[in-house]
Amino acid sequence: MHSLKIAATGMAAQQMRVETISNNLANMSTTGYNARRAEFADLHYQQLARAGTINASDGTVLPTGVQLGLGVRPSAISVDLAQGSLSATNGDLDLAIEGAGYLEVTLPSGQSAYTRDGALKRSAEGLIVNSEGFAVAPEITIPEDARSISVNAEGEVFAYFQDEPEAQSIGQLNLAGFSNPKGLEAIGSNLFLETEASGAPNVTTAGQDGLGTLRQGYLEDSSVDPVREITELIEAQRGYEMNAKVITAADQMLSATTQVR
Amino acid sequence: MEASGYTTLTRQSGLMRELRIVANNIANAATTGYRQDGLVFSEHVKRTGGGESLSMAHGNVRSVSSQQGALERTGGRLDMAIEGEGYFLIETPLGERLTRAGHFTLSAVGDLVTPDGFRVLDAGGAPIFVPPDITDPGVSSDGTLSDGDRPLAQIGLVRPLEGTDLLREDGVMFRAEGGIEPTFDARVLQGFLEGSNVDPIGQIARMIEVQRAYETGQSFLDAENERMMTALDTFTR
Repeated sequence: MHSLKIAATGMAAQQMRVETISNNLANMSTTGYNARRAEFADLHYQQLARAGTINASDGTVLPTGVQLGLGVRPSAISVDLAQGSLSATNGDLDLAIEGAGYLEVTLPSGQSAYTRDGALKRSAEGLIVNSEGFAVAPEITIPEDARSISVNAEGEVFAYFQDEPEAQSIGQLNLAGFSNPKGLEAIGSNLFLETEASGAPNVTTAGQDGLGTLRQGYLEDSSVDPVREITELIEAQRGYEMNAKVITAADQMLSATTQVR
Repeated sequence: MEASGYTTLTRQSGLMRELRIVANNIANAATTGYRQDGLVFSEHVKRTGGGESLSMAHGNVRSVSSQQGALERTGGRLDMAIEGEGYFLIETPLGERLTRAGHFTLSAVGDLVTPDGFRVLDAGGAPIFVPPDITDPGVSSDGTLSDGDRPLAQIGLVRPLEGTDLLREDGVMFRAEGGIEPTFDARVLQGFLEGSNVDPIGQIARMIEVQRAYETGQSFLDAENERMMTALDTFTR
């Protein structure tokens, strides 16, 4: 009885869609979050009657044949790489990326991770770190006596000191670009890791090679569109119910079969 | 056993088959680029002795709906939907395949690929390379992929030589056994995906119909069984 199993794959798919939507809605206010979208593809087809099979003695052939599908499978959870809106925070170390690109941070393991969450902080040692405390690569130390910090669109970091009218350059923030940013592996905390699918990072100055620029004093909002998510949620719920109805119908047909003796 | 039982059996097994197709359609109601399947029953006539004939139901013809699916706006630069009859051409290890699921991404080396990693081919049958410094490629309605005013590639749009000659394969792909030709009737829309063209209400209605018809068939078999039992009872008394 394949109908039961086919409908079960449909229910599992709709369930996954609801999970994706609920994760998007839960991250509606996460800085730099990009909405995800569940993508599906059909499963293998069984060939019951091949097209082109001879159907009668005069050589008539079946024009289309019969192929029975076996249900649906998730094919991808793709990241919708839309630019989120920017909100002004006026923080010295709040940076929004306008356009493509990621900031690079170094994990405690020494591995590089990439993020669009530009809510940077200053550690006790004066290092520029992200919200989790991981140092931004290349490391930049803010001198203790610096009065204020300024970051320009290309990512150069300047410090202003007491009694000095001229700002001093203390480092350069780079952006990393990927040929397939949708292939990055999300590890939570707004961080991504490089994968085989994403390709190697191209680390360069902001504004070069098609990468975006930095804007100090702003943070990128989540790109989740609640209206779209709710519409998708309704569709997913109804889809789930319809698959459940198919299971009921298949069950009733089975029960009709067993009642014949 | 008499032929009435076998005749009903062909109907019943056909209905089971049809329920599978309905279940598959409903399961794929959210699959990008999926096209609704249907089953066509035909009469299978057998001549019997004495000038009478026996007619059996035979569900062995499939129909694929070519209705346009709803277009959903995703805003993705590499999401493409086809309006009109036409398919994207993709390269798989088993040969060239057609698809209407235009949810593409770039591979690590910069080729335009499907979610399963198969390369999308251009009008000349070659893979499409997008240089990594292009972050905002445009796609025109005839499938020209461009960066500003610099054209990069022309995405191939094809159709099968014979309209009905499409075999389904997993991953929302079709195989055209009779060959393909370029088409100029289709338009590409960037930032959209074509949803599944399954009509859920129609499918649920069909499912109820199938279920009731099946139950009717079973009660007929039941009655037939009773009739024979009674006959046996009467004649052997």
